[in-house]
Amino acid sequence: MELDLGPEIAEFRAEIRDWIAGHAPAGLAELADWSDWNNVLLNRAEETKHPFYTQWERALADARLICPHWPEEFGGRGLDALRVSVFNEELYRAGVPRVVRGMGERLVGPSVIVHGTPEQQAYFLPRIISGEDVYCQGFSEPGHGSDLAGLETKGEIDGDEVVITGQKLWTSGASKATHMFVLCRTDPGAEKHAGISFVLIDFKDPGVSYRPVRQMTGAAEFYEDFLDGVRAPMFNVIGGLNNGWRVAMTTLSYERGGNASVLHIAYQRNFWKLAGTARKRGRNTDALTRQKLAWAYSQVELVRFAGLRALANLAQGRRPGPEASINKLFWSEYLKRFGEIAMDIEGADGLIRPQGDGYQTTSWQHAFLQGRAAPIYSGTNEIQRNIISERALGLPREPRGAGMTRS
Amino acid sequence: MILGVTAEQEELRASVRRFLADRAPITSVRELMETADGADAGVWRQAGEQLGLQGIAIPEEYGGAGFSFAEQAVVLEELGAALYGGPYLASAVLAATALLASPDEDARKRYLPGIASGETIATLAFTEEDGSWEPDAIRLDATSSADGWQLDGRKSFVLDGHTAHLILVVARSGDGLSLFAVPADASGLARTVLPTLDQTRKLARLDFAAVPATLLGSAGDGAAVLSRVLDVAAIAQAAEQLGGAQRALDMAVEYAKLRYQFGRPIGSFQAIKHRCADLLMEVESLRSAVQYAAAAVAEDSAEVPVVAALVKAYASDVFFHVAAENIQIHGGIGFTWEHDAHLYFKRAKASELFLGDASYHREHLATRIGL
Repeated sequence: MELDLGPEIAEFRAEIRDWIAGHAPAGLAELADWSDWNNVLLNRAEETKHPFYTQWERALADARLICPHWPEEFGGRGLDALRVSVFNEELYRAGVPRVVRGMGERLVGPSVIVHGTPEQQAYFLPRIISGEDVYCQGFSEPGHGSDLAGLETKGEIDGDEVVITGQKLWTSGASKATHMFVLCRTDPGAEKHAGISFVLIDFKDPGVSYRPVRQMTGAAEFYEDFLDGVRAPMFNVIGGLNNGWRVAMTTLSYERGGNASVLHIAYQRNFWKLAGTARKRGRNTDALTRQKLAWAYSQVELVRFAGLRALANLAQGRRPGPEASINKLFWSEYLKRFGEIAMDIEGADGLIRPQGDGYQTTSWQHAFLQGRAAPIYSGTNEIQRNIISERALGLPREPRGAGMTRS
Repeated sequence: MILGVTAEQEELRASVRRFLADRAPITSVRELMETADGADAGVWRQAGEQLGLQGIAIPEEYGGAGFSFAEQAVVLEELGAALYGGPYLASAVLAATALLASPDEDARKRYLPGIASGETIATLAFTEEDGSWEPDAIRLDATSSADGWQLDGRKSFVLDGHTAHLILVVARSGDGLSLFAVPADASGLARTVLPTLDQTRKLARLDFAAVPATLLGSAGDGAAVLSRVLDVAAIAQAAEQLGGAQRALDMAVEYAKLRYQFGRPIGSFQAIKHRCADLLMEVESLRSAVQYAAAAVAEDSAEVPVVAALVKAYASDVFFHVAAENIQIHGGIGFTWEHDAHLYFKRAKASELFLGDASYHREHLATRIGL
């Protein structure tokens, strides 16, 4: 069943479909499986250097379809969430990639649009769209994950510069980044949330060093970063000095969502792959395995249904509520369980890793180990449950205890 | 596919909710659940005359309002939220769907207008004493002679079977399964109301001894009719479960805000907050699923069999989880007869077991997706 979102959206869909058909270079779809477009890793894929890709990138740029949800005055096309979803669906249908600008597109741009001065907007935003500036995130620290506002990285004012010293953690894409958006404490005397600033720094500054953090999967997709007297002009402070917490809240509100209607696609693919594994191992006739697989199938469908309902609600002009937190809780708990089910189906074969250097894993071993990440990143599920219970259900906030003071 | 809630559906929901709050509040549910009939005939009549609820999804040519199953799902959700004990699921869903799925146009013309107005209470008798929900398990004998068909045997777990005016019976003959109509006053029919775990939902045992019956459609086409009815009924039941789950969650959250222990509302403790957050996630997911499933029925999508198994399994898990947590969050008061939490808990288990529990439907789902 295809969702009926009304005549305006149908017209937009047809327009986008025609545009893609008219502009996507022949052969681009066959170049790679682009359906993983939402992955930030896409930016680093070898295929993005192919002439087909760069030609497609130029066509999208000319049509203002890179950062398409940004307002037109800032170089985007002003697409609302519903139209962005339709755009994503049509790209998926055509088998071509969405050209993404990673954290610059999703997090920095919207924050600069909301909190930046016209001069900052004019300077920073076009560089994100062109791909010249590539951002990584400098929020979490070794001592401050969920309690982000307790961060300790120092930002000292020296004339018209901020001098930043501290350590950041869980940075994805640090090795490919040209810039980092950093939260640092510029007023150590102020109340916890009040003394923080949001600063864009040059990640090629000699004061920056980083090293990969090896994860339990054996891979290293995140980095820890050491900032040692990194200097940034005051011009790079977004939203004003000591106002960084408000900017960060804007940033985090954009961290999730936007891909609700295509989220299930990768899950479906993995589900059927696991069903194939179960068949191959003769486990598909085992009653308990069938229960687990039917459960997994249901969860993937529930992700799809939620995405469709979210679109339908947007089409009817309803504002999104706390769905982002509810969805994150749902799919991350699913991924965790899916990895466990995969290992159950593997049985004894799950005991053995492939031969090779380092800590190689089969895809099911990887799914099993990687499943522990999603309930922690992008705000732990405990934080999500706080958000859901307070904002959606109106339950009282947890009383703040000794944690009010910074340690 | 049309998804999402239209303004008309919001209005419908509000008027059904108002009607139930006014005419079938929980105090009256408690009174009626102690009676054998379990329903107030005046309220049932008003639901038909004033709101047209029984005929909402029945086409206009058969005396209904001609709305879709998406609207009926809204009604079912509200009935489930209120623990309404009348024969709505039996008559307006099980029996009406059986007639609509049957190829017997005469029977539709004869019976549906009465069901649509509420004047006729009908039900579908298919389950037998072994408690199997599988059509294959049906054994009740149908034999034909020069005088017509007659039925012999026993049906059990028949929803509102003791109060229905019209009983549609699935029985077996040499041709396989067929659908028959039997009036409540037929000779040889004995009806016994059974004491139920969930007193707001009445089940009966029906004994057939040479009961004369009218064949609907042709002999042997009952299996196809029944499989359609079971899919639609599973989705209808899930809509009711959604309503019950939402109401039980609302009760838990409201209590968590009001109840103070250790000088704080218990809802400020993460032990309670996080449970409520998980429950909301489940209820919201169920809501998306029920909307999708209702749209699938409304559009007669080929996805109905898969979605029906999926949504009934999920709704059964979710409603039971919420109803159980509602008791725990209420603490001691939640274990009392006086508090309503146990009524939702019992309804949750009853609607989980009725038409097959979550594992049963997940097994169906596994088969239907080709595992």
